[in-house]
Amino acid sequence: MFNFKRPHHKLHTSDENDLRLSDLKPGEKGRIVEIGGSENFRHRLIEMGLTRDAEIWVDKYAPLRDPMELIVKGYHLSLRGMDAQKIAVERIA
Amino acid sequence: MNFNIAVAGNPNCGKTTIFNALTGAKQRVGNWPGVTVEKKSGHYTHSDNIFDVIDLPGTYSLAAFSAEETVVRQYLENDEADVVVNIIDASNLERNLFLTTQLIELGKPLVLVLNMMDMADEKGLQIDVDTLATLLGAPVVPVVGRTGEGIDLLKEKILRVSTEISMKARLIDIRYPRDIEIEIEKLHQLIQKNDVTDKHSRWTSIKLLESDQQTRDEVRLHNNCADILDQAKISINRIEVLFKDTGRATISSARYGFIQGAMRECVVESLIDSVDYSRQIDRVLTNRWLGLPIFGLFMWLMFKLTYDIGSIPMDWIDSGLVALMNFISDLLPNSMFASLLVDGVIGGVGAIAVFLPNIFILFLIIAVLEDSGYMARVAFIMDRVMHNIGLHGKAFIPMIMGFGCNVPAIMGTRILESRRDRILTVLINPFMSCSARLPVYVLVAGAFFPDNAATVIFSMYILGIIAAIGSGKLFSRTILKGMSKPFVLELPPYQRPTLRSLVLHTWERGYLFIQKMGTVILVGSVIIWVLGYFPTEVELDRDYGSERTTLAQYHDSQLADLESKFKKSVDQDRSGYHSEMIVYESSSSYLELHEQFQLLQEELTSEKSKQLYSLRQQEIGDITEQKWIGRVGKIFEPIVRPLGFTWRESVALITGFVAKEIVVSTYGVLFGVGEDVDEGSQGVISGLRSSGMTPLVALSFLVFTLLYTPCLATVAAIKRETGTWAYTFFSIAYSLGLAYSLAFGVAYFGRMFNWLS
Ligand SMILES: Nc1nc2c(ncn2[C@@H]2O[C@H](COP(=O)(O)OP(=O)(O)O)[C@@H](O)[C@H]2O)c(=O)[nH]1
Repeated sequence: MFNFKRPHHKLHTSDENDLRLSDLKPGEKGRIVEIGGSENFRHRLIEMGLTRDAEIWVDKYAPLRDPMELIVKGYHLSLRGMDAQKIAVERIA
Repeated sequence: MNFNIAVAGNPNCGKTTIFNALTGAKQRVGNWPGVTVEKKSGHYTHSDNIFDVIDLPGTYSLAAFSAEETVVRQYLENDEADVVVNIIDASNLERNLFLTTQLIELGKPLVLVLNMMDMADEKGLQIDVDTLATLLGAPVVPVVGRTGEGIDLLKEKILRVSTEISMKARLIDIRYPRDIEIEIEKLHQLIQKNDVTDKHSRWTSIKLLESDQQTRDEVRLHNNCADILDQAKISINRIEVLFKDTGRATISSARYGFIQGAMRECVVESLIDSVDYSRQIDRVLTNRWLGLPIFGLFMWLMFKLTYDIGSIPMDWIDSGLVALMNFISDLLPNSMFASLLVDGVIGGVGAIAVFLPNIFILFLIIAVLEDSGYMARVAFIMDRVMHNIGLHGKAFIPMIMGFGCNVPAIMGTRILESRRDRILTVLINPFMSCSARLPVYVLVAGAFFPDNAATVIFSMYILGIIAAIGSGKLFSRTILKGMSKPFVLELPPYQRPTLRSLVLHTWERGYLFIQKMGTVILVGSVIIWVLGYFPTEVELDRDYGSERTTLAQYHDSQLADLESKFKKSVDQDRSGYHSEMIVYESSSSYLELHEQFQLLQEELTSEKSKQLYSLRQQEIGDITEQKWIGRVGKIFEPIVRPLGFTWRESVALITGFVAKEIVVSTYGVLFGVGEDVDEGSQGVISGLRSSGMTPLVALSFLVFTLLYTPCLATVAAIKRETGTWAYTFFSIAYSLGLAYSLAFGVAYFGRMFNWLS
């Protein structure tokens, strides 16, 4: 369904930081390290303000556990778990 | 003077509100050429100048990802607009300014509008408007679109930017980090030297660094393009090495960097703890446990209100139509023209007109859901389910609407952003069993499954849902694969809808429906009338007139026989009667005889009318068989025979193509019980039963009715929303194919195992 043609840009997967946005629980906050996935997907997210180093808040999960609701740059955004999994984050307090 | 003004901005920034505030009610809605993106235009006058305003679709960027973005970009690049008015949601400044940075680079005279200033205040944001104007190099007007505050000032600014040369000059460039600027400069100089585009050459340079396909194609059309494209490649490589990301991502991030710098200079966030009301509301409405039940309740209320409130004016329209029919019939008795008006036009269009109140109420409720911001939450709640079919959560709404009527539902697919999702939703929508199919179910199920009618009808709805889901999965894996977009959905703050916007939204969509009634349905009804009316003289094999006389005579003689027998018995009985106390006519033996006589008489009379009625039905059937409509039915009979259908079903299904309700009235005509049969009508039921239809065939007929193309209006809506005949014909062919296969399956396996014979 998706175009899995990998961009030449790859997600760094260093061991100490393998935390994904989809791993964060409601109420937790993270900072974006890197966005993987297709070119179009990455650009879409960057244009919506999910740039590297942007802070992101997981507000809640939908009643059926997917998608999730985030707060970024002061507005509410919803992403599916499978897409959030392509976003590497670091947890911040 | 005449000026073209283009209004651009993010989705939900209040663009429509500002557009309405500028142009008032004088607006036209159309489509952008080639794509089904709504195009709204209007105009206003200010200081003797006419301003033609185009409301561009809401977009987050000018990257040309979606149909909307492509439309916006093409319009802005084609130099049609004299001034671009960029609406910015002040309460969501950072993300809204992303589009602004691109509009600045495009180099058009620009007016920036800070909308939703009231919300920004509430959030505790203080925006230094003058500094922002200096930083962005364009006039900034703060407004509150909801109340109209600041609109006059906006008009003034638009006038000045349109007419004063000095206001048009672009004083500011978005500055990028030094390493990017160096590459931009290199490309910029090459482009200027070669005089490649007439566009802002800095814009072209930046777009080349973003690997923008459209820009590359344009550059390729010129001489010396090789130099420029080679340089672009080298520059992108350098940026990728330096910034460890693609050129496009780097530039987008740098835009946000610029915006953050600007925000630091002109936005003060006061420390008062502002309450995020929307979040509070969402604690309940999208709550893990309450979210689904509340959504279910809203859906139930939507149907309840649509049908309950809608049925009140429905009855008025119905009686109005009947009165009109009677009036016309009295005025022009028995002429062809009267029949055309009464049976063709009023009968056909009226069958649809009675649904108008339901449709308007449904649209109104949907407008409320949209304007309040709840629609985005529906997408959030239902995405998991719709994702299974390869669709976006928002696609759930048109599916639900389909239970009411497929036409507004298909028009409702406009709320979906991706064209692929829209087409997929349009294609599976007709399988959602609309209310017009219900009368057919009630009639046929009532005739053949009197004990289990409700179960049979309910199964039809379920079968429709299964067909929709199955087809959705099939399409998203075959003809519509690979076009799917990731789910990135903004959940805008809740708003109290304004009456004005509700009325506008409801009217816009409702009007399209009225238009359809006046065209497609009108023409279709007249065609069916013509097919059923001509030829006016038909030759029948049987002489019904004399058959009727013979039949009547036979029964009358039977009755006469009975009476004389009765008299004879009475006379005999009376001669043996001797009591002086009671007159003979009150004696028990007479009463007994009389009762017997009455019973037999009733039996004979009812037998007589039954046979006459059945003869009349056969006659009308025979007549209809000779009419064009019957001949058409005969032509298609061999095709539907494997399903167990006769020419009658074939006619009913063909007329049902105009509108499903017509199936019922067609049977009414075929069995000679007149046009106004209601679904419970005994005449049609006995006609159906005596026509040789078995319960199995009835079931197969129901399956076919459920699945085949719902009506002409739906076909027109599919054409309108997909924009191509290809998808329209595909939809017709697919639904006919599916209907045929499943109905055949029912008939075939039923016969094999001897079910319901
Ligand atoms: N509080 C507030 N709400 C506004 C303002 N302007 C528009 N809205 C509301 O914002 C919502 C989205 O507006 P709309 O014009 O439909 O946005 P569009 O998607 O950009 O066309 C609607 O509910 C409007 O009533 C404003 O200045 N203040």
